[in-house]
Amino acid sequence: MIELIIGLLATTMATSTVLILASIGETIVERGGLLNLSIEGTMLIGAFLGFLGAYFTGNLWLGLLMAIIGGIITTLIFGLLVVKLNLNQVISGLAINLLTYGLCLYFFRYTFSQGAMPYLKELIYPLPIPFLSQIPIIGPILFNQTIFVYIALISAPFIYYLLFRTSFGLKLRAIGEDPSIAYRLGINVNKIRYMALILEGILVGMAGGMLCLSMFNVFDVRITGAKGFIAISIVILGRWNPIGALGGAIIFGFTEALSLWVGTLIIGPLSASMSQLLSTLPYSVAIIALLIGGRRAKGPAGLGSPFLKE
Amino acid sequence: MTNSSSFSNNIVLCVKDIKKVYPNGVVANDGVSFSLLKGEIHSILGENGAGKTTLIKIITGCITPDSGEIYVHGNRVNINSPMDAINLKIGVIHQHFTLIPSLTVAENIALSLPLNFSLDLENIKKKIRDIAKSINLEINPDAKIEELSVGLRQRVEIIKILCQDAEILIFDEPTSVLTPLEVKKLFSMIRELKSRGKSIILITHKVKEALSISDRITIMRRGRIIKTLTPSETNEDELAFLIVGDVRPSFIARESNPGEPLLIVKNLKVLGDRKEIAVNGVSFFIRSGEIVGIAGVAGNGQKELVEALTGLRRVESGSIIFKGMDLTNKSPRFIIRSGIAYIPEDRIRRGVIPNLSVAENLILKSFDSPPYSRSMIMNRNIIESFAQNLINIFGIVTPNSQIAVRNLSGGNIQKLIVARELSNHANVLIAENPSAGLDVRSTETLHQMLSDLRSKGIGILLISADLDEILKLSDRVLIMFNGRIVGELDRNNIDMNKVAKLMLGAT
Repeated sequence: MIELIIGLLATTMATSTVLILASIGETIVERGGLLNLSIEGTMLIGAFLGFLGAYFTGNLWLGLLMAIIGGIITTLIFGLLVVKLNLNQVISGLAINLLTYGLCLYFFRYTFSQGAMPYLKELIYPLPIPFLSQIPIIGPILFNQTIFVYIALISAPFIYYLLFRTSFGLKLRAIGEDPSIAYRLGINVNKIRYMALILEGILVGMAGGMLCLSMFNVFDVRITGAKGFIAISIVILGRWNPIGALGGAIIFGFTEALSLWVGTLIIGPLSASMSQLLSTLPYSVAIIALLIGGRRAKGPAGLGSPFLKE
Repeated sequence: MTNSSSFSNNIVLCVKDIKKVYPNGVVANDGVSFSLLKGEIHSILGENGAGKTTLIKIITGCITPDSGEIYVHGNRVNINSPMDAINLKIGVIHQHFTLIPSLTVAENIALSLPLNFSLDLENIKKKIRDIAKSINLEINPDAKIEELSVGLRQRVEIIKILCQDAEILIFDEPTSVLTPLEVKKLFSMIRELKSRGKSIILITHKVKEALSISDRITIMRRGRIIKTLTPSETNEDELAFLIVGDVRPSFIARESNPGEPLLIVKNLKVLGDRKEIAVNGVSFFIRSGEIVGIAGVAGNGQKELVEALTGLRRVESGSIIFKGMDLTNKSPRFIIRSGIAYIPEDRIRRGVIPNLSVAENLILKSFDSPPYSRSMIMNRNIIESFAQNLINIFGIVTPNSQIAVRNLSGGNIQKLIVARELSNHANVLIAENPSAGLDVRSTETLHQMLSDLRSKGIGILLISADLDEILKLSDRVLIMFNGRIVGELDRNNIDMNKVAKLMLGAT
């Protein structure tokens, strides 16, 4: 029994990681007043370029690098639309999601026309941390994981420090509250917002890369499975705080791990449909969690509003 | 010759021939030249829309001029962003504060300073305390801005620009948001700063203030500099004449001849935002054809009283009877329909919808009834001619009736609100600090309007923090203190000392 629970929690860490990275990335830009709904598409680009990179070079780490670059490029395109051209943030975000979906679908079919499903021969495997991974219970849960899990866990306090203990974070938060006041204070609003978007691109691109390079060894345009949108609700749930986002993401990761685990227990003629029903669990939890935890959440005052210089 | 050169050495800031035309065609600055001497308090005096704020925005890099030159200590400079101004040691206290409400005092001040990546807030807090001490201010660096009063927020702004080592301090209408006591404190602080060698520009439209504190006064009118004077060589009347450009209309003497009571308020009790008793058993009545003034220091329940009368705040007990109808706790819509008009103090947030057009704002309270609309379809022609009519009658200065209201000056927005409120055939008008933020001419026009309405038999409740305004207009004066009416005086029987004492709670 205890081994089952350890297994469940270890899976939780793995399934949470995509959400941790993505929601922390989104927390950064939302603190700067940008509502980036294109996070889903950003993640998809990360997954796609990560897969392509690893497939053609045969090197998983080059794949990861491609995923990160892809993430940065996508968030910068979003930045171009909403920071430079001052377009509506919601519409720009949704447009990028549709665009990336179409592009990935097209180029995937174009690259691998017909034939067998391409797959990666290897995955980025767990990297047990010497000594720590030997600790009973905690060891296998926390310290026998892939590098993505470690990065996600470290990024929470790191980004917390960045947001609340550095001048960059202070400026970013000021911009998120009221960009025109921030501008009048002499803050370079656009530069800081681009920097936040680059950070988000790194984290979200990495999350996308993780999907193809560490969790599944294949690519499909449905691979992100609305995880980007779940990450957006985690940001609200975590009250725009990276530590809160970490907690929220683990709750969602747990429900996902739980639905995977319960799915394996069901046998019989209905097992396929049952496990599909179970896989909707994280999304139901998203709605319930927002009902409970998101009700009084108050975000940055300037979130989503355009900023025009006088 | 030597005189003039030493004079020019003393010039810390000089602008030459500044021109600025806004995209909507408003000429805000039309060849403005101006100089500031070291260690002087220099007031720029003018009406709303005279171009004062535009000039300040140009000097502080918020907007760029179409042409013109700026010199700081005799050197030609380009000020393209607020950062440039800060680097030139120019600091400004904006009319609308540049503070982020959800952040602390220290964080707000930190934002305006050059910072290391790792934020050393403790050091900044120490600097804040030191500077505050040196000019005899008290401020808690850890307080959140949203918890501070307006007067305290202004102090934070002053400390902020001092932390930036500003040598040229610009105050943009600093007294418009302050209580009289706070104004006094502010002025002694400004004098203190002057004695420390700071050069100060004070933007104002209040003649008395400019006379009382300035070394020199520059008058602006319609985007141009009219004249620069010293207080000793001028007086209130001359300044007022220079500001307005023509003779001020004199106030009409009149007779009090009130009719039947229209609005009767009995034993009204209303709670404030923090569930404290804000209005504590207030009773009064308003008759047709009279102006009843409510005097009192702001924050003694006036705001809550007005909100209760207009249906914006719940009445706990007591009654509001209007022409025999019970209006207690009725909806704002019901109260409006009954014939009560309201000029709110916060014009932008309560009086208009800034992004809608002048015409749309003018029918905001009657858009859903004929002739403006029939079965949900609005009649554009009727609305347009109605709007044009009001624009002409009330002299609203606007390029046309389709422009968004946010482009209008404060005085014109106020005219628009008055026009709308009166077009509804109301019997009672509630005017809450109606002249707040208005210049001399707009205030005069407004007072004239209120007085005309009174002659037409409308009952007016005038709530104002400006005692001069109350005394000038009211037939009867009620004095409010601590949620109660503590005194009532007749127009012909006013003892200023008594009013002042009652306002401050003395018996």
